[in-house]
Amino acid sequence: MADQLGVEEIHGLGIATVMARKGATGAAIGAALGIVPPEGPHMATANALTMIGTGPQSWLVVKERAVPDFANALSETLKGLASVSDQSSSYIVTRLTGSDARTVLQRGAPIDFHPDCFRTGSAATTMIAHIGVILWQIDDSPTYHVATFRSYAQSFQHWLSATAAAL
Amino acid sequence: MSRIASGGLIDRSRALSFTFDGKSYWGFEGDTLASALVANDVRLVGRSFKYHRPRGILTAGSEEPNAIVTLRTGAHAEPNTRATMIELFDGLEASSQNRWPNLGFDLLAVNQLASPLFVAGFYYKTFMWPAKFWEKLYEPLIRRTAGLGKLSMLPDPDHYDREHGFCDLLVIGGGAAGLAASLAAARAGLRVILADEDARLGGRLLSERHEIDGLPSSRWAEQSAAELATFPNVRILSRTTVFGIYDGREYVAVERIADHLPQVRTEQPRQRLWKIVAKRAILATGAIERPLLFGGNDRPGVMTASAVSTYVNRFAALPGQRVVLFTASDSGWRTAADLIDAGADVAAIIDSRDTHPPAEALGKRGVEILTGATVIDAVGAPVRKVKVRLADGRTRSISADLVAMAGGWNPAIGLGSNLGARPVWSAPIQAFLLDETPPGLTAAGAAAGLFSLGAALADGVRHALAATGDLGRTPSAMPGFRTSDDSDRATPLWHVPGARGKTFVDFQNDVTDRDIALAAREGFTSIEHLKRYTTLGMATDQGKTSQLNGHALLAAATGKSIAEAGTILSRAPWQPVAIGVLAGHHRDDHFRPERRTASHAWAIERGATFVDAGMWKRAQWFGRPGERNWLETVNREVTMTRGGVGICDVSTLGKIDVQGPDAATLLDRLYINIFSTLAVDKARYGVMLREDGFVMDDGTTTRLAEDRFFVTTTTVNTARVMLHIDYARQVLWPELDVQATSVTEQWATYAVAGPRSRALLQQAFPDIDLANEALPYMGAAIFRWMGSEARIYRLSFSGELAYEVSVPAVHGDLLIRHLFEIGRSFDVVPYGTEALGVMRIEKGHPAGNELNGQTTAGDLGMGRMMSKKKDFIGRAMARRPGLTDPARPSLVGLRPVDRNQKLRAGAHLLSPGAEAIAANDEGYVTSAAWSPTLGHSIALALLANGPARYGERIIVHDPVRGGDLEAEICSPVFVDPEGERVRG
Repeated sequence: MADQLGVEEIHGLGIATVMARKGATGAAIGAALGIVPPEGPHMATANALTMIGTGPQSWLVVKERAVPDFANALSETLKGLASVSDQSSSYIVTRLTGSDARTVLQRGAPIDFHPDCFRTGSAATTMIAHIGVILWQIDDSPTYHVATFRSYAQSFQHWLSATAAAL
Repeated sequence: MSRIASGGLIDRSRALSFTFDGKSYWGFEGDTLASALVANDVRLVGRSFKYHRPRGILTAGSEEPNAIVTLRTGAHAEPNTRATMIELFDGLEASSQNRWPNLGFDLLAVNQLASPLFVAGFYYKTFMWPAKFWEKLYEPLIRRTAGLGKLSMLPDPDHYDREHGFCDLLVIGGGAAGLAASLAAARAGLRVILADEDARLGGRLLSERHEIDGLPSSRWAEQSAAELATFPNVRILSRTTVFGIYDGREYVAVERIADHLPQVRTEQPRQRLWKIVAKRAILATGAIERPLLFGGNDRPGVMTASAVSTYVNRFAALPGQRVVLFTASDSGWRTAADLIDAGADVAAIIDSRDTHPPAEALGKRGVEILTGATVIDAVGAPVRKVKVRLADGRTRSISADLVAMAGGWNPAIGLGSNLGARPVWSAPIQAFLLDETPPGLTAAGAAAGLFSLGAALADGVRHALAATGDLGRTPSAMPGFRTSDDSDRATPLWHVPGARGKTFVDFQNDVTDRDIALAAREGFTSIEHLKRYTTLGMATDQGKTSQLNGHALLAAATGKSIAEAGTILSRAPWQPVAIGVLAGHHRDDHFRPERRTASHAWAIERGATFVDAGMWKRAQWFGRPGERNWLETVNREVTMTRGGVGICDVSTLGKIDVQGPDAATLLDRLYINIFSTLAVDKARYGVMLREDGFVMDDGTTTRLAEDRFFVTTTTVNTARVMLHIDYARQVLWPELDVQATSVTEQWATYAVAGPRSRALLQQAFPDIDLANEALPYMGAAIFRWMGSEARIYRLSFSGELAYEVSVPAVHGDLLIRHLFEIGRSFDVVPYGTEALGVMRIEKGHPAGNELNGQTTAGDLGMGRMMSKKKDFIGRAMARRPGLTDPARPSLVGLRPVDRNQKLRAGAHLLSPGAEAIAANDEGYVTSAAWSPTLGHSIALALLANGPARYGERIIVHDPVRGGDLEAEICSPVFVDPEGERVRG
């Protein structure tokens, strides 16, 4: 059972909310970052930078192995195009992978994770066990990244352990 | 033993031992508890609810009203479980209910003597006088006799899980129609979920002897199930009951994962709740056989004919040796054939109709056939004979130990009325059918009134093909099924008159035909009133075997047709559901999520006692060994902070980044005071109103740049203010270029307060200049700590020289430890929410108790903060006369005249000498605390004309707790009224 589900917290991420200013298009923001921005609840990745659509003209931007001033640098890059807020401490990001990962998520979130509907590159802002989550699929294993607010870490862990144990 | 020598779908190589009421028996794998009891000749399984009449097993399905037992013992004990639904497992223990001292000798059967008193609605007419007996005598008495089974009263040790299902087609019921529909849909490539309450698919195909495509029906069911299992897009949920239909095409079901296992693996869930969203659904739940209404129809040994067939065919168990079959339907005759072929003695078939299906075979076996006849009474407990009225009116007795009754079939359509659509009467089938259905759902097969096998199979296919077409997919080619003949003619016999014994309609709630007649006489003639007044259909079986019989009696009693009388709306859950499965993982400490701050682990180490603030856990105080009570602790925390330095975690307060060229404009429209004039690196206290002019929230907002503000809110209003800001910028003024997002979780923030706070912080952060000129009161600065941006704000809620230090939450634990390490030499004290509260009351700062949604800015002494130079939300409504009346209760301080007395929040204020009546009420105490700084109790209060009355006396009146006292009205700022400490 253990080898069908991998659970790991990802550390060292730089995370920021990016909200477009008036007149700025997603394309312009993407161009400034060197990435084709996702339209709708999807994610796009380039150069260790991931953009996740979380709402109209809003994205969560995630960078692996980021420096502490990641958000300030991003803010400079997007000056005049978008308002940037550092959220690097706000979220705990958990990686779920393996053949049971889909079932685990299906037991938590009320959205359809069938490959016909949710595939690599899909993203969703939803809830698991009364906790808000932002999640996205990064490969076909399947592997998902699930971001939850830091303060809910213990509660989210409890749901995850109980659900994994019930597999 | 009444086990038939061969046949049945049981595995005779796997014998299972079980006990019922302490006695040991044997059964086989594949038995239910009911079938095993039948095979062991156990006739008596329970006592009825009101009259404690001896009862046997009535049916073989989930509609069972009588065989209600307690399964398992100890904390796992489950009362009111239907024996017909319990899969037998080795070591099973079950016991009967509602009897004392035991099933065979139940003293409470004496209730039967009082039965003329226990008619419908008796509790509306009794236990009323004398009134004072109600609480001490009548209620405890009724409670003791109420209900059927008993709870163990131990915590439920089982785990419950949840899953979300999505499909093109949900098929509810895996019998003939359901299997045919599933096959058609699966072959067309649809995503299908098939849910069936039984452990194996097939429904009545497992209980009746038919042929489909040359195979015995149970074999065909097995093959179909195997084929369905090969489709990757088909999910078969066995042991799963869909119990409710909800909005949004959502179907909710319970999957029984471990109820049939001797023991549950430690973390294995016992049951799983499924929330299924289905684009289309087919209700293939079949039909439920009606009992017939004659005297003694509740006696052990009286069973539905379909149940008899099920026990004989599926379980190879014979419920009786000498059988009388009483039928109004062709289906009853098939039961007679099943019995004869199994070697039972069928004494007579009594058909209430004038004609019957061809039956030369039966006649040859010496079975007496009486048409146009009825059973009037079943006699004996258990049954030993029946009294019959023949076509010519004469009566006869026939000895029998089993009466199989076939009253006709009711489509099991309850789920279809969960969204409010009432079923309609169908004259051709003499039963109710769905007319309007929940969106996307259709009924098929017997649930749609098509009782014969061929018609049911074809109907399942038809509905599946229609759903396939609806969804824009290509239907599969489905060959027709060749089935054996089975005629489904029936002529309902709603009631047999002239009975001597009681005639039962609702078996579980002990409702008789007389109760329904009584209800009609007393005016309860609407179908929903009938249900509540008589309790017909209100037991755990929800009237599955009784509703329509009751409706027919009501119709007759009121001179209406059944169509006119109508039927009730069935309500979810269709079958009883454990509350545990609805809760899932959310129980006890995990009932709802808990939010913890970055200093949580550290606070535990320091001995904090925690309090709930919304979903957050906050340290309330930090007790030290030797302190007698919390008051001593809190007094120490306040004294040490005001005298030295204290640190409090204030991370839970809401924080919102508001950015963009129009950020200042937006804040000006939200706050009563002006923020566009705020300089960079400066903070300002602000108040926000609701649209109706009342105060919504307050907080300090800091300007970090021309186009960037850092807004704070109270803990409890965080979400409300975020919504307010989003609503304002997205809906009210979408033309503004302003963005906002919550950053509450990004920053861990600690308040450092007291005369030594600056010294402590200067040592903790040597790289930043904290001198008064460098960082004045209400100033802010950004600096670096541990390689990240950190912030310091010179703000004070306590009234002392104070700062708030923020670092990214990932460093929050490090920072608190660093501050306390440095703080050792400053004798730093950790303080919690109680001390925080005492200090703010000492300073007269309004907080939650004063921001209660009923106060205006003027009430709180902030009227002059309301800018006259700009418009803001709430400005117009705040000017209403009722909100600007100076006589409104407004904020004052109170101190007890006798310094030894204690003020309490919630007490009301009266002028001395005024009578303690509502008309004289002048206000109330909002917050009270013991002030260690002043050495006596203090309070904040809202008092009519308050600020004009300093120095006056007022009576503090507490009608709930007593202890009235006299208080002096004063300024709410008790400590350092000039505000010198914060500016040092």
